Amino acid sequence: MKKILFLLLLIYGTSCFSQKYFTRTGATDFKASVDFFEPIEAKNKSTTVLLKTSTGEIVAQLFMTAFQFKIGLMQEHFNENYMESYTYPKATFKGKLVDFNLSTIDKKSNYTLKGILTIRGISKEITTTASLKKDKKQLTFKANFSVTPKDFEIEIPAIVRKKIAKKVDISLDYVLEKKV
Amino acid sequence: MKRILVFLNLLFVCSFPLLAQNDLMEELNEETETNLTFDPLAFKAMKIGNLQSTKIGDKGDLYLYVSHRFGPLKNGFDTFFGLDNAITKIQLAYSFWNGVQLSVSRESYNRTLASALKFMLVKQSNRFPLTIVGYSTININTLLDENNFPELQPSDRYSYANQLLISRRFSNNFSLELAPSYVRQNLQDLNIVAQAQHNQFAMGFGGRLKMSKRMSLNAEYIHNFSRPSNSPFSDAFAFGVDIETGGHVFQLLFTNAQSTNEPAFISYAEGDLVFGFNIVRVF
Repeated sequence: MKKILFLLLLIYGTSCFSQKYFTRTGATDFKASVDFFEPIEAKNKSTTVLLKTSTGEIVAQLFMTAFQFKIGLMQEHFNENYMESYTYPKATFKGKLVDFNLSTIDKKSNYTLKGILTIRGISKEITTTASLKKDKKQLTFKANFSVTPKDFEIEIPAIVRKKIAKKVDISLDYVLEKKV
Repeated sequence: MKRILVFLNLLFVCSFPLLAQNDLMEELNEETETNLTFDPLAFKAMKIGNLQSTKIGDKGDLYLYVSHRFGPLKNGFDTFFGLDNAITKIQLAYSFWNGVQLSVSRESYNRTLASALKFMLVKQSNRFPLTIVGYSTININTLLDENNFPELQPSDRYSYANQLLISRRFSNNFSLELAPSYVRQNLQDLNIVAQAQHNQFAMGFGGRLKMSKRMSLNAEYIHNFSRPSNSPFSDAFAFGVDIETGGHVFQLLFTNAQSTNEPAFISYAEGDLVFGFNIVRVF
């Protein structure tokens, strides 16, 4: 009986008290620049990210209007004409770090990240490699991947087509802290 | 009994991660909602037609506004529907700081020099439903001739308008604006107006209906509370379309005022329908 109780406690312990790491100031950048034209890039510094360490599940979410461009008018056009941010305010990612294990993170820091990116209500499967680093309290998550405007049915008018890259590079840099 | 207990426990424990899986996104949602996010702008250009909108250029952006107002359409072919009597205004607006825009302009109507200050007070966000902007302008009428007005004081050339611009973007396609306004006219020509009204109060109403990503229908009406009923002037209105092409916005409109300066069209809209346009270019 004692053994069973102990076992139960152990199972409870791992599932109920599974740790989560969290941030609401994650940096998500994208670049869609073409050489010799105005750089098209923006930074979102308010991405919220939640990682469940027991399973490696990771979810992230950001507001399109929080992308900051160097040129204000570019930002306005991004929201108004391309992303339709009023209708689709958020982009979300729901995925998993394959074989993630927090206790062996010192030895293995690169994990396959698989998940579904949803922008403008359209979902696309993403597979890439994420690097993770653990400090005393923080967990630093970094990853890169690219998408195309076509993936999310973003129309680009003919006159600006040359100035916007076919492939949009997205980089993620999240410093997560233990969530209480 | 023991077995049942163990079974129940196991069931509970096993189902827990399943529950937790769905919760992760919900948990994140709850955390995200508290972030401050601004709603997209209510208007594409700094003006709805004649009336100022709540848009302010971003820091470092230089805007050039070229406005034309033609003569009354009712003159017909004699003036080619007013094309012979165009009033032109050229305006430069620059933002030295975020949310603060300064502008200078010259309009051929009364050869008016004007400067204006526009500043953001609150932006529409998930925490506040309105955008509120302050607007203040000084106009100098340089056409007034001292031969016609022997007692003319330098201060008589000045007129002012102060407005609070309150807008809300209700949906992707629909925005509305209210503009409580105070106009000060230092000069009241009693040959034209029956009684002097130096201080005038008005309320502007404006709106936008987006037809597509780059086109919208705009309309505005400004009611002047201080205008006597026997005044030869009317409440100003304008309606037209905005067409945006990247760095330009073209505003094609019909209005009943010849001037696009606030003290002039709020007080002295002539009332005859004219065609006009604003071209906005950002540098």
